[in-house]
Amino acid sequence: MWNDLVELLFQAYEQFSLLPLFIEIALAFIIIAIAATIIAYGAIMYKRYKSYVHEKRVAFINPIIEDLITEQVLLNDSLGKDIPTEEIEFNPEALANKVYKKPFVRQILIDTLIQYRKNFRGEVGDLLRKLYLDMGLDKDSFAKMKSVRWEKKIKAVVELTQMDITISDVTILPLTNSTNASLRAAARNAYIQLSKNEPFKFFDIATEPLLPWDQLEMFKIITTTKDIAIPNFSRWVSYSTNKSVVSFCLKLIAHYDQQSAIPAVMELLNNKDHYFRADAISCLGKLSAEAAEEKMVKIYNHQPLNCQLEILKAMGNIASGKYLEFLKSEFLFSSNFDIRMNAARAIIKHNTQNSRLLVEELMEMTYEENQLIIKHCLNPLIKY
Amino acid sequence: MGVTFVEIASGFFETSVFIYGVALLLIYALLAIMSFLNIALFLRKESYTDYKVIVGSPLAPGISVIAPAFNEGLTIISNVRSLLTFDYPNYEVIIINDGSTDDTLEKVINEFSLVKVDFAYDIKLSAKPVRGVYKSRDEAYAKLIVVDKENGKAKADATNVGINVSNFPYFLCTDVDCILHEQTLGMLIRPMLEEENMRVIATGATLRMANSCEVDEGVLIAIKAPRPLLARFQELEYIRSFVMGKMGWSYINAVPNVSGGLGMFDKEIAVKAGGYDPASFGEDMELRMRMSRYVYDNKIKASVRYIPTTLCWTEGPTSVKIFMRQRTRWARGLLQLMLAHKKMLFNPAYGRVGLIVFPYNFFFELLAPVVEFLGIIYYLFLIYFGLVNWPYAIILLIFVYTYSVMISSLSVLWDQLTFQYYKTWKDVIRVIAMVFVEMLIYHPLIVVFSLRGYWFQLTNRKHSWGNMQRAGFKKKSDDKPKKPQPAVSAS
Amino acid sequence: MSNILVIEDDDIMLKAIRNILRKDGHEVITAKDGKEAFEKLDNEQYDIVMTDLMMPYANGLEVVSRIRSNSEKRNVGIIVCSSVGNEETITEAFRLGADDYLKKPIMAGELMIRIRKLLANRSGNVKLVTKKK
Repeated sequence: MWNDLVELLFQAYEQFSLLPLFIEIALAFIIIAIAATIIAYGAIMYKRYKSYVHEKRVAFINPIIEDLITEQVLLNDSLGKDIPTEEIEFNPEALANKVYKKPFVRQILIDTLIQYRKNFRGEVGDLLRKLYLDMGLDKDSFAKMKSVRWEKKIKAVVELTQMDITISDVTILPLTNSTNASLRAAARNAYIQLSKNEPFKFFDIATEPLLPWDQLEMFKIITTTKDIAIPNFSRWVSYSTNKSVVSFCLKLIAHYDQQSAIPAVMELLNNKDHYFRADAISCLGKLSAEAAEEKMVKIYNHQPLNCQLEILKAMGNIASGKYLEFLKSEFLFSSNFDIRMNAARAIIKHNTQNSRLLVEELMEMTYEENQLIIKHCLNPLIKY
Repeated sequence: MGVTFVEIASGFFETSVFIYGVALLLIYALLAIMSFLNIALFLRKESYTDYKVIVGSPLAPGISVIAPAFNEGLTIISNVRSLLTFDYPNYEVIIINDGSTDDTLEKVINEFSLVKVDFAYDIKLSAKPVRGVYKSRDEAYAKLIVVDKENGKAKADATNVGINVSNFPYFLCTDVDCILHEQTLGMLIRPMLEEENMRVIATGATLRMANSCEVDEGVLIAIKAPRPLLARFQELEYIRSFVMGKMGWSYINAVPNVSGGLGMFDKEIAVKAGGYDPASFGEDMELRMRMSRYVYDNKIKASVRYIPTTLCWTEGPTSVKIFMRQRTRWARGLLQLMLAHKKMLFNPAYGRVGLIVFPYNFFFELLAPVVEFLGIIYYLFLIYFGLVNWPYAIILLIFVYTYSVMISSLSVLWDQLTFQYYKTWKDVIRVIAMVFVEMLIYHPLIVVFSLRGYWFQLTNRKHSWGNMQRAGFKKKSDDKPKKPQPAVSAS
Repeated sequence: MSNILVIEDDDIMLKAIRNILRKDGHEVITAKDGKEAFEKLDNEQYDIVMTDLMMPYANGLEVVSRIRSNSEKRNVGIIVCSSVGNEETITEAFRLGADDYLKKPIMAGELMIRIRKLLANRSGNVKLVTKKK
């Protein structure tokens, strides 16, 4: 029996080896392709089965978790009575349910708590955090920090940040300069939110860029975390060599209206990078920095278009009224459409007696296209 | 003498076809691997991402959504409405009425209380004249701008007008009848904002067939695999072309094309490159090529990225006639583009675009139908002279068939790994069934239609405008260029 | 007892708000998107409508605008509750006639106080109207 089989295979191989090379290759690939196809469908079936099971479990567990949070947190009777959150106790029986021991339930629980925290702050937010701690979910998050997979690490950092749990500097600081951009971003956000003494320390040591996507989250954390000490961001505008940090600081300066930063920001008007200069001009405009107007007008003629437009916008924001003549001549004599548009907008934004008279005057003396620009800018239905 | 010549010729033909075939198969294998790696990376990132962050952020960059409409009176209201409900804080919706002959414009004016406004804008890209710009008196629709223009007989013309009117640094190009995911803007802007040291000039995502999906007032209720056979083939083709093709190419920054049905662009570069070309039959790929030329000529490090998530559902043609027109047009577009930009082929000055994107599209997209056609002729010739070694021929045929089945099956798997769009097994099987018959039914159609397109382009060169008029926006879901540019066609 | 319509496409938030407001003694009706919201607005009278901004079918600003343009519903108190925090959107909401804007994450206590205040103002207004008659 065995011998027969071996004989057969041997014969088949002999036959096979006599075939031309390309047919041999083709036959080999046919077998590989069929095998890969079968594996692919096996994988699809497995994957779909797994998510089916997962969905079922989620459907089962979600109402339980929702009830827990509703009863223990949202409708907790101690809320609204000026009882410190630390002293509010949960019903131990509700927390002791056996399902909360299963890892996948714990993960869903963490995710759900985070969802709630994104919707509620204040007392409810604090109580959600207490529930997270009382159920020992922070240990799950810290365990994930030790994972070798970077996305797990990030998830852990995000969870801890969302729940406002302190991570030691030793753990988090090295990650703020990780070569993995996403991990770096998550670590920086965590550091800002959780480090009580020097939240912006990493601005000093940041060598890697701060990507625009990461700035979104960081901006949100800086502007919404309570008890965060907002420093004078001009420090980094003057001294940081990391361009992305500087440009981020410009946005923060504008947001916090840090008037004292104006001289530092004005320094940037001499910077070589014109995108950078445009950011600085825009920031000065938002600060309504009257002191910068003269300089801006002076450098105006040597600027590339994007900076010129930013200067015009900034002058609309500052609206000191001193440079209406300048705006008027830009509007009347520039050959560039965008410049005329922004000049007109800047004049209108002044919204003073003088500027309104100027608009009327311009309306009469200029040609059709410019009149259209003025009408466009005056129309309340048009936003931009 | 004659015999030796035939022998040499056939020997040469066989060898070159053999090399061509092997190269093609290797590329597909490579694409399968690269797309898998890229999808895996994407999914890892998604596992901790919350797009709500960008919704709540004042730093979210502005995006102009540009959607041309031609005779869409039946569905225009719900389509516009759904474009106004993106989960994104900073965007405008620009609807271009491309000289509709029905009541598209009136309907929009009435529904959204629009009034004609004095709207000043710079004609950065030339296009047909604008008849009026409308804004809503109701501040709830402050995001909406409707532009009424003369028909330009090309989507490119209408989109260019939209770009002229737009106010933001990025624009999303789509069609008014496409159904878009509410997270589209956030998901497509993300790659633009998180690449280090490179400017991402365009991003795109997977498109799928809306044919059998349940749709209510422009909102997707249930995703289903299409029932009509032709649309089902297209669904499979789109999955393969986007999830495997584009994702694979995106891994090495060599995406050939951002689909006209859904794509986000860096406006500054798009405008400097000259915008869409109304004379092109494949204006989306054409723009991508010109943007690449621009960035290379100006030494800007740039990239084009794709994400595997399906964000756009579009109605695919279900009649062979309309399908033929669509594919003929795409083929013309490809040939036209290759000829227009031939100086990029193997030109190291254009980096990956010159050395990978262009050669691949030239040899394996443009020439594939030709090679296949010649191969069939050659085989017929051999059969006629009784020179065919039948066992070998059959083995080779089985080889090609099983290989293409494998590639398509892997695409379906990659798609399922990304996200399980189909809720039932039935839908999955409906698509999988196509894997096995595609080569016999759908693929020959594509080859014939492509050759038809090349023929038209080569013979009608001077009359291309006249043809455009026939091929333009004539009917709803006519050959609009929602082009997946099958980066991986079967076999 | 007051009648409140809560429009919100996030399921978690919708249920949470409903529970909190019910506990506070209000009658709460929910809608999970713009379409449902319009149907429920047509069917019943509410004292207060609380709406999210970004939802399927119609955005919250449309809801506000539609309530304010309907003379019968002029008196309804409107609270917009959204994660969108840019100034422009907030002013837009107020210009359209929203009475209040809460940015997510919200404070439950604050929400209840604002609703009570709004209800108090509203009943004041109604009295004024009836006095004039």
